[in-house]
Amino acid sequence: MENIIEVKSLAKIFGNKAALEDVSFQVEKGETFGFLGPSGSGKTTTIKILTGQLLQTSGDATVFNLPVTSLNKPSYRKRIGVITDNSGLYQRLSIYDNLKLYCDLYDVPTKRIDEVLEMVNLTEDTKKVVSKLSKGMLQRVTLARAFLHEPELLFLDEPTSALDPVNSKHIHDGLRKLNEKGTTIFLTTHDMSEAESLCKRVAFLHKGKIQLLDEPKVLRRQFSDSSVTVELKDGRELNLPGGSKGANEIYKYLSTDQVVSIHSNEPTLGDIFVEVTGRELV
Amino acid sequence: MTFSMKRVMAIFQKDMKDLYKNMYVSSTILMPLIFAFFYGRMDDLTVEVHFVVINLTLAIVTAFLQCSIIAEEKEKNTLRGLMLSPATIPEILGGKSLVTFILTAITIILCTMLTGYEPTNIGIIAIAIVISSLFYIALGTLMGLISRTVIEASVLILPVMFIFGFGSMFVPFAEQYPILSVIDYLPNIQLVELAAAVEAGSGFGDVLGNLGIIVAWVIIGMIATVIVFKKRELDE
Ligand SMILES: Nc1ncnc2c1ncn2[C@@H]1O[C@H](COP(=O)(O)OP(=O)(O)OP(=O)(O)O)[C@@H](O)[C@H]1O
Ligand SMILES: [Mg+2]
Repeated sequence: MENIIEVKSLAKIFGNKAALEDVSFQVEKGETFGFLGPSGSGKTTTIKILTGQLLQTSGDATVFNLPVTSLNKPSYRKRIGVITDNSGLYQRLSIYDNLKLYCDLYDVPTKRIDEVLEMVNLTEDTKKVVSKLSKGMLQRVTLARAFLHEPELLFLDEPTSALDPVNSKHIHDGLRKLNEKGTTIFLTTHDMSEAESLCKRVAFLHKGKIQLLDEPKVLRRQFSDSSVTVELKDGRELNLPGGSKGANEIYKYLSTDQVVSIHSNEPTLGDIFVEVTGRELV
Repeated sequence: MTFSMKRVMAIFQKDMKDLYKNMYVSSTILMPLIFAFFYGRMDDLTVEVHFVVINLTLAIVTAFLQCSIIAEEKEKNTLRGLMLSPATIPEILGGKSLVTFILTAITIILCTMLTGYEPTNIGIIAIAIVISSLFYIALGTLMGLISRTVIEASVLILPVMFIFGFGSMFVPFAEQYPILSVIDYLPNIQLVELAAAVEAGSGFGDVLGNLGIIVAWVIIGMIATVIVFKKRELDE
């Protein structure tokens, strides 16, 4: 499989504090890659380095097999889309006029505006002035702007942090469609279910390093103790070991019709993160 | 290096629409017009008076407009988006300079209509004003790169307005205090001198000295802008 991003021993030091110490990973062409980590772990910093907004202190980072420092040509800019926490919109202009500017800059026909507004569920608000929008609407306009030119590679820094569940789901569907059409997505999020449902692989960033990197289901299996929780009609909740040892006991409760529910205790990505880093993912 | 006129025009259209709704910045255009209106009600204006209004326009419309539309892109985090798009810095600044240039031209034309200025040789005067406006666009760009907010831009414009807008008021003192004779070489004073000479019947060849000094200011302004820009390119 071809790699679209390659990062080797990347480090970034601000003043005398290391934000990234030794980060290495690859993102394959066509995948949705989740970049997870607690607040302040360096996710945004990594995106800024990969998009040429910040210079690394040491290490190598390539995108499209080119060092990130040489990506500032218009022809490469057209292949990349970026949303970070500081993506600004023109407050006095309408949603349409904001997107129209970017259509012209990316050489995309303006009829594409309707398509991207559909993707972010904003078709009714085209003429609204940006200063009058809610936080979630602003986030959706920013997303729409990044979708305009159907980039080969899309960096999304917490794309749904301000959204309600319905709009989040709408955006997720849009992201899956983009991904199916060939866009590679590099995504940071604090929402573990978002990571689990969208990402082919996830990386956990903590203390300046990648602590884990794999497919969500592989990680869950790896960290599972295969125990099960059995809820009984008398209100008791039993935590039983997996395998043949627990099976006999479960059978006993099942055959005497005492069972309300049985759940396997597979850890969530959030649980795994707590286990690996020793702290809650916020 | 690619330079796309389409992207320049995209920035130009965006900034025109934005300024149309930005009362704080666009209302500065009114100031020279108000001056022009009151001067226009007097009789027999000298060329110096006509150029008080024109120099004021160059300082507070040209320089301030350019400065604040650049500063605002930084203040509102919209410059990042432009930089991450295919638009290059020369294209972004080109689009903005075009906005500033056109609004400057319109303001100056309106002002001269209000004051009733009819130069003897409109060709030379037009060339001199166009070259001067390039200097003020460069100056505005430089200040825009330095200031982070529109408020900072409004503060930075004060000394510019003082020196270049009202500079001709200090010329009489230059005879008393020799140290002030450097004022003579300012682009605004050169522009007045040039216009006075044209009024007195000078031709193109006679004012080449004045034009040369103004061109030198344009070059200095552009070099300073490029230096400041290179220094700030990879900040944060
Ligand atoms: N421009 C900067 N100057 C100094 N320190 C910085 C700068 N940008 C980021 N940092 C520091 O680098 C570290 C990583 O910040 P970063 O924004 O990358 O975290 P993050 O993982 O994106 O966090 P969050 O989940 O809260 O968005 C933080 O300690 C932050 O204070
Ligand atoms: Mg962040």
